[in-house]
Amino acid sequence: MAQKIARTFIGEIKSFPAWLWVLIALTVFGLGVGVYRLAVGLGTTTNLNHGYPWGLWIGFDLFVVAFSGGAFTLATLVYVFQMHEFHAATRPTVLTGLLGYASVLIILVMDLGRWDRFYHFMIFPNINSALFEVSWCILLYTTVLISEFSPVFFQRLGWQRVLDVIKKITVPLVIIGATLSTLHQSSLGSLFIVMSERLHPLWYTPLIPFFFFVSSVAAGLAMIIGGATISYWVFKQSLPQKVVGSFGWFLPWVLGFYAIMKLGELLIAEEIGLLLTANLYSVLFWSELIIGCAIPIVMFMSKTVRHNRVWTLIGALFVLFGIFLNRFDAAWFALKPAPGFEYTPHWMEIAIQFGVLSAMAVVYTLIGRYFPLFEETVHNGDAEKFHVVASAPAE
Amino acid sequence: MNQYGMLVDLTKCIGCRGCQVACKQWNDMPAELTRNRGTYQNPPRLTSKTMTNIEFREVELKDKLAWVFVKRQCMHCEHPGCVAACTVGALQKRAEGPVVYDENRCIGCRYCMYACPFGVPTFEWDQTFALIKKCEMCIDRVDAGMKPACAKTCPAGAIQFGNREELLTVARERVYAKNSPYIKHIYGEEEVGGTSWMYLSSVPFEQIGFPTLPKETPVYLNDKVLHATPTIALGMALALSGVYWMVKRRNVIREYLAAENHEK
Ligand code: SF4
Ligand code: SF4
Ligand code: SF4
Repeated sequence: MAQKIARTFIGEIKSFPAWLWVLIALTVFGLGVGVYRLAVGLGTTTNLNHGYPWGLWIGFDLFVVAFSGGAFTLATLVYVFQMHEFHAATRPTVLTGLLGYASVLIILVMDLGRWDRFYHFMIFPNINSALFEVSWCILLYTTVLISEFSPVFFQRLGWQRVLDVIKKITVPLVIIGATLSTLHQSSLGSLFIVMSERLHPLWYTPLIPFFFFVSSVAAGLAMIIGGATISYWVFKQSLPQKVVGSFGWFLPWVLGFYAIMKLGELLIAEEIGLLLTANLYSVLFWSELIIGCAIPIVMFMSKTVRHNRVWTLIGALFVLFGIFLNRFDAAWFALKPAPGFEYTPHWMEIAIQFGVLSAMAVVYTLIGRYFPLFEETVHNGDAEKFHVVASAPAE
Repeated sequence: MNQYGMLVDLTKCIGCRGCQVACKQWNDMPAELTRNRGTYQNPPRLTSKTMTNIEFREVELKDKLAWVFVKRQCMHCEHPGCVAACTVGALQKRAEGPVVYDENRCIGCRYCMYACPFGVPTFEWDQTFALIKKCEMCIDRVDAGMKPACAKTCPAGAIQFGNREELLTVARERVYAKNSPYIKHIYGEEEVGGTSWMYLSSVPFEQIGFPTLPKETPVYLNDKVLHATPTIALGMALALSGVYWMVKRRNVIREYLAAENHEK
């Protein structure tokens, strides 16, 4: 018996594709470097300095939280607006969100000078601190995501009674989750309100919490598209392109609103002139607007794009790039350093960041292989004929 | 308002760095290894081992090259960004004026470094378990009825400790006196809502490395936005519940109508 289990186990491991091994190697390497970082401190393992106390890690945290916004966006569409045609996308998206948040939590602890005191935000509140609010919301929302995702495991275990309970509380859970997301997506923007002297005026605005929230919806939609497309290639299972494309249908609205608000804000604040001066900042801002908003808006308005897997993915990648840039601008490129300081990430910072991201990709892949992640989704041989993979109680 | 303040008269400072040393002694701060950079200024800036630092600024004064010595430390803002920002409330503004730091709370997130408009808080980059360091206006001495160590030491009388309002009166008298050598600006009187430390100078402040700051502090806005949290949360939860209920109802009605049509 034991031998048989061992043999199955080894057989499974042997069946891992090469890219999965690469991810596992990156994870192990990142883990090693991470332990070293915790043991020797930030000075030797990062290039962070007095002028740039935050860097690569905070940039990634902001970006990963933004695209993990896909989880609350989708859950709201499916359970609150009851657009059941999107239901099949919830599990993979909630899992991506959950893993995104997990990676942020790990990196945040890495980033603390006193990482051994990571729990202090629970016992020493400062209600005026945006970071305090962010910490709480992320912790609570991660808990909500775990509950939202737990049916995958219970289903595998066949615990019908627990499943029934969770199904009953799904809607309140989703509403709580969406509320928490609204709070922390925006309060990640509120982080910058007190930094009026550090953040460049193109990004600094009292509306920054609102911008962070709206853009997280866009990033979230793009993430859903990206995730569905990648599952299609990796697991050979996904949603019909018709459904994937209809997420793209929302994007011009969200991005258009976002871009108009951003430009309008600059106009009202009489800072629009900054966009016409040629320097690094205006180039960064234009890149956000053109690559991250204008191009995908035009793309997703076209039905041809929405009906084509590759084009939809490319459009989504444009959106993600725009938001990526936006978050890195706020956390790094557009923050004025103390005079005389420079920063390029240390290789160990990069190793830890990609180690954590790889770990999440590995977990996602393994769950996708062994758990009913794609209940009710379609197995896809050819694009036209779909059939249900695992039948689960329809919503 | 009975708050402590400090007044630095840059025209009186002789650059002896007695204050820098006194600060190190009182706070048990270690020495720093630095290199000769071709200036007397040492170390180059505030660090986690040097909470007050004398900068040797070269300026042109009446067509002659001159040195201005600038004492740097935490400004002890009236509305401190660092205090608003601190995740765990390790930084606090005391009613008497000083902005103090509780190293037993700090988690080393470094948000305060970005929130400070003067770039004051410094981080112990060389430590495994690293904390923030910044001037606390010698709160332990002040609590015991003594002056801060720097003010006690200064042989030139360039640093005055006292009641902020009274110091402001003194400052105004000096600045607006006849033939006063000072420029007509008391730095710290109004910057970002005022600071407990104030400076007098005979050269414009922007020439000697003081940031030009607005009178308004972003702290008010920060607090307002964050205090709106419960309202936003409640609003969002109610709105979503409302939407859920409405959509559900619409679907029920739709099904009912469909059934009715069917019957006909
Ligand atoms: S100068 Fe900076 S560190 Fe000092 S009280 Fe003001 S904000 Fe805080
Ligand atoms: S580094 Fe310490 S003092 Fe500064 S904001 Fe974070 S917890 Fe507060
Ligand atoms: S002790 Fe007084 S005179 Fe000497 S450097 Fe400090 S402020 Fe200037």
